[in-house]
Amino acid sequence: MDTPAIEISDMWFAYDGARVLDQVNLTLPAGDFLAVLGPNGGGKSTLLRLLLGLLKPGGGVIRVLGLPPGQAGGRIGFLPQFTEVSANFPITVLGAVQTGLVEPGLSCLRSPAKRRRERELALDALSRVGLAGHAERRLSDLSGGQRQRVFIARALVSRPELLLLDEPTASVDGRSRQELMQLLSDINHDMTIVMVSHDMSTVDGCVKSIACVNRTLHHHMDSRLTPLIFAQATGADLMAGCPVELLAHGTVPHRVVLDHGDPDCCGGRHSQDAARDDGAGEGEDGHA
Amino acid sequence: MLEALTFDFFRNALYAGLLASLICGVIGSLVVVNRVVFLAGGIAHASYGGVGLAFYFGLPVLPVTAGFSTLSAMAMAAVTLTSRERADTVIGVLWAAGMALGIILIDMTPGYNADLMSYLFGSILAVPDSDLWLMAVLCAAVLLLVALFSRGLLAMSFDADFARSRGVPVRFLHFLLMGMIALCVVMVIRVVGLILVIALLTIPPFIAERRAHSLPGMMLMAAVLSAVFCTVGLYLSYTLDLSCGATIIAVACVGFVTALAVPRRRVPEPPGGTDGPARAGHQSVEDGVA
Repeated sequence: MDTPAIEISDMWFAYDGARVLDQVNLTLPAGDFLAVLGPNGGGKSTLLRLLLGLLKPGGGVIRVLGLPPGQAGGRIGFLPQFTEVSANFPITVLGAVQTGLVEPGLSCLRSPAKRRRERELALDALSRVGLAGHAERRLSDLSGGQRQRVFIARALVSRPELLLLDEPTASVDGRSRQELMQLLSDINHDMTIVMVSHDMSTVDGCVKSIACVNRTLHHHMDSRLTPLIFAQATGADLMAGCPVELLAHGTVPHRVVLDHGDPDCCGGRHSQDAARDDGAGEGEDGHA
Repeated sequence: MLEALTFDFFRNALYAGLLASLICGVIGSLVVVNRVVFLAGGIAHASYGGVGLAFYFGLPVLPVTAGFSTLSAMAMAAVTLTSRERADTVIGVLWAAGMALGIILIDMTPGYNADLMSYLFGSILAVPDSDLWLMAVLCAAVLLLVALFSRGLLAMSFDADFARSRGVPVRFLHFLLMGMIALCVVMVIRVVGLILVIALLTIPPFIAERRAHSLPGMMLMAAVLSAVFCTVGLYLSYTLDLSCGATIIAVACVGFVTALAVPRRRVPEPPGGTDGPARAGHQSVEDGVA
């Protein structure tokens, strides 16, 4: 457990010559729960794909569980971005979870004993996400939130040490979102989690640290949202406006935003609320 | 029907239909779940270029067409892998170009009055024994390949990104799938024609996709369905004196509409979990952790 889950130093990546990620440095201790925030196109998903070894960095070093990306395959669980691709796919919940046990290469034939073992592992992962009774149902008959939990079970079924999640709460309604975050928080007792999200409301409570990715990466060791994080995460100019408006679209109350000491912002009312709740506006701490 | 079976040509037509059903049930299911119907159509049409080449240069038709289709399938596979957003356009171009090449080359071939119609609709009533054997071998090869790589194919079809992250050679499997589509299309077109190939590749798998609970289940269901469509279609075409290929397709379309109308049987949600994924969820999560 002493090896950091993720180590990145001076890493950059470019699509067609344009640097999407630059000067990325990150050391993530094992057991952490990192939320990766950032604007669309800021490089969040690219970072995840680099960690998985699906993309190769232009330069710099990446170590995942102490190994180069792509070599720790079986020890990483992955939840890809929610898509509709599988909406009609003829597969049971159990079958979907078992695809999480597919081994590298073209190995194909399994002994009956191995099949039984894989079935047990899959049932175990399903009960872990609270879907034990749903094993034989068709995946397409499940609700969006349930389906997302099936995919989390698929990521968990190989008993990984590191869980990489790409937008786990996208296309999931508010209540399922809370359940999901609770579930992830429980899972975090057993493994390191890295969660890419553009949804600020997921950050509240469960995560232990935050990384803002917008071409480069800022790692905040604290999980509190600060105006600086907002600015980095939304790609907004810190001085250009108040991020409260963005936040207010969600279900999260305004008060999670710390005061950022600009009396002109938001007609003063929001900043007063914020000021009452917590002290002065910090946010520089942990800033690489 | 029974009296029709006394004719060799009719028996051969039935065998050809059943073999085509098996091949199309398996490959068609992969085509439908991987959403490459357009690509399969492209391969099928472009293969006419191979027919033209074979006639123009006086080469044996089947190997040349198979080679040409495989090459065009690989080109399309490469395009779909590298630039997904441009893929449909490029497939459209190859689709038209292959077809045009075939027609022009056959125009330029002296003494051969090519019939595009038999390419489009096949000649299921004139299938020689040799073609039946070829189809049987192809069928066995396809089943073996699919069985051998079933896990990887399932993982790729279900979620290519995830499969790649698990170290499944998705690129190889993608090319393999395209190659299998090309070979099947070429072989089956010879027998039942272009239009019936597209129909058999899409209609039965589409009906099966909504009802099957696994990919092999879908393949089996699609193969059985298309066997039924072929048999009924052949029987009707015999008794009503209609074109075989078109009658089979008409039967398949009736089956398609019927399947849409008949509700699907669902496995009910387990008791107690009717709407509280929440409560059920937390309960077992806590159990799991404890």
